[in-house]
Amino acid sequence: MAVKKKILVACGTAIATSTVVARKIEEELEKRGISVELTQCKASEVPSKAEGHDLIVATTFVSGAGDIPVIQTVSFLTGVGIESDIEKILSYIGGS
Amino acid sequence: METIQGIVDFFLGLGASVFLPIVILILALAFGAKPGRAIRAGLMVGVGFVGIGIVLDVLFGNLGPAAEAMVERFGIELSIIDVGWPAAAAIAFGSEIAALIIPAGILLNLVLLFTKVTKTINIDIWNFWHFAFVGAIVQVVTGSIWLGLTSAMLFAAFILFLADWTAPATQKLMGMQGISLPHGFSTAFVVPAAIVNRVIDYIPGLNKIEADPEAVRKRFGVVGEPVLQGFIIGSVIALLAYAGDGSLVEWMTQVLQVGVALAAVMVLMPRMVALLMEGLIPLSEAAREFLQKKAGSRELYIGLDSAIAIGHPTSIATSLLMVPITLLLAIILPGNRVLPFGDLATIPFMVCMMIPIVKGNVVRATITATVVMIPTLYIMNAMAGVHTEVARLAGFSFPEGATTITSMVDGGNWLAAMFTWAAGNFWLGHGLILVALVVLWVLFKKNTAAWHKLGGYTED
Repeated sequence: MAVKKKILVACGTAIATSTVVARKIEEELEKRGISVELTQCKASEVPSKAEGHDLIVATTFVSGAGDIPVIQTVSFLTGVGIESDIEKILSYIGGS
Repeated sequence: METIQGIVDFFLGLGASVFLPIVILILALAFGAKPGRAIRAGLMVGVGFVGIGIVLDVLFGNLGPAAEAMVERFGIELSIIDVGWPAAAAIAFGSEIAALIIPAGILLNLVLLFTKVTKTINIDIWNFWHFAFVGAIVQVVTGSIWLGLTSAMLFAAFILFLADWTAPATQKLMGMQGISLPHGFSTAFVVPAAIVNRVIDYIPGLNKIEADPEAVRKRFGVVGEPVLQGFIIGSVIALLAYAGDGSLVEWMTQVLQVGVALAAVMVLMPRMVALLMEGLIPLSEAAREFLQKKAGSRELYIGLDSAIAIGHPTSIATSLLMVPITLLLAIILPGNRVLPFGDLATIPFMVCMMIPIVKGNVVRATITATVVMIPTLYIMNAMAGVHTEVARLAGFSFPEGATTITSMVDGGNWLAAMFTWAAGNFWLGHGLILVALVVLWVLFKKNTAAWHKLGGYTED
């Protein structure tokens, strides 16, 4: 089995919106048979926590992510456009 | 009748960590979540609640005695502990009124949508805790759960209005169409920010300054992170509180222990709330689908958590600067008894929606936030008594002595305070707030473009 890809989920507090986003991503990827390692953090913690992750999904602006790709989206909160964002995530972490 | 009373007493006697999971389970099922998911959700809420209680014990066990010692030694009487919004949210959701807030809030939103009073469809069920908080406080003041609920709904309506008003500015800031931020705390602070910013326009010199937010953020580095903030604040307080208490070794032991304990509180508290939050997800998703289905295809704003607006560089930089400024204010403001702690990490929520108003200018944002922080601290002082009472009724126990608590969110929220004060003479007070809201709404409808500009929206 391949090494699990690591996704960092960033929001304002690492509590409310990132919990929703992390659970939703987990759920959607599980449906496709992919399991990932999800970590939540605050937007201001991105510079110190980004290292070692394959992708950052943020509900707010993030800076200091270095070379790691960032997807900024609220689709996982609004329910609109989840599919296309999951496609984007897959294209970065190399699933189907 | 007696049996009904008996059943009600039995449920309330279970305590919030048992009562709340049952409420969440029932609500989730009512909104059509699957039974397995609903049961798990309910239990997670209970787990989060227990976890918050444990972290609060660590906070009081360390900060309480230190704050008391500091009072004895220096006469700096900062004995009201700021427990932070996670505790306030748990208190609000643990109150008797919480079970009513979610269905009532959804109903109110639907009514205001269909009567075209608002364009915002608030799917951020989690942040209904702000309304529950106001409701619980008014219930304590008036002794009536129905008056509490009335107050909470008027607050919710006020926030929907503020969300509509600021929606264009928010959308421009985020670069996203069709959203608004009906947040009980962040959105309320748009009002004082708009006023202060207007005043700065007239002050020569100040109205010209600019600064680079990225530079501020870089300078603070890891000090900006909660774990470091908790450690530094804890150590400094213990350093002052226990100076000359026994040997140097004993003193340093105290300093390091309190430092690490408060670092732990800063890190653990949000984790515990994340559990509580996780339990609310099935309910909030079910409610979202329900609301969106009912709303149909009208052009609407989807109301989200203001957490999405927090990452703006100016917002982060200003919030970092505001941590030492707030502590300094707490020390120098005459009569202040609040020791800011837990919600130092939540200052971004006060600042984030000021950003469009000050056009992203970090100097202006800091001045505005500083000016607004002064009344905020005094409001926290004034509200601490009733805040503590609500916490006690929600089942949180406090150690002897250090018994008064507050939180900036929403214990320092001017709008929440208005409802608390209006509760003293309920119908007159709330009548006046309702009239004010209607007048504001009519003015907003009459000259929408000018209001949007005032809320920070610019065309270019």
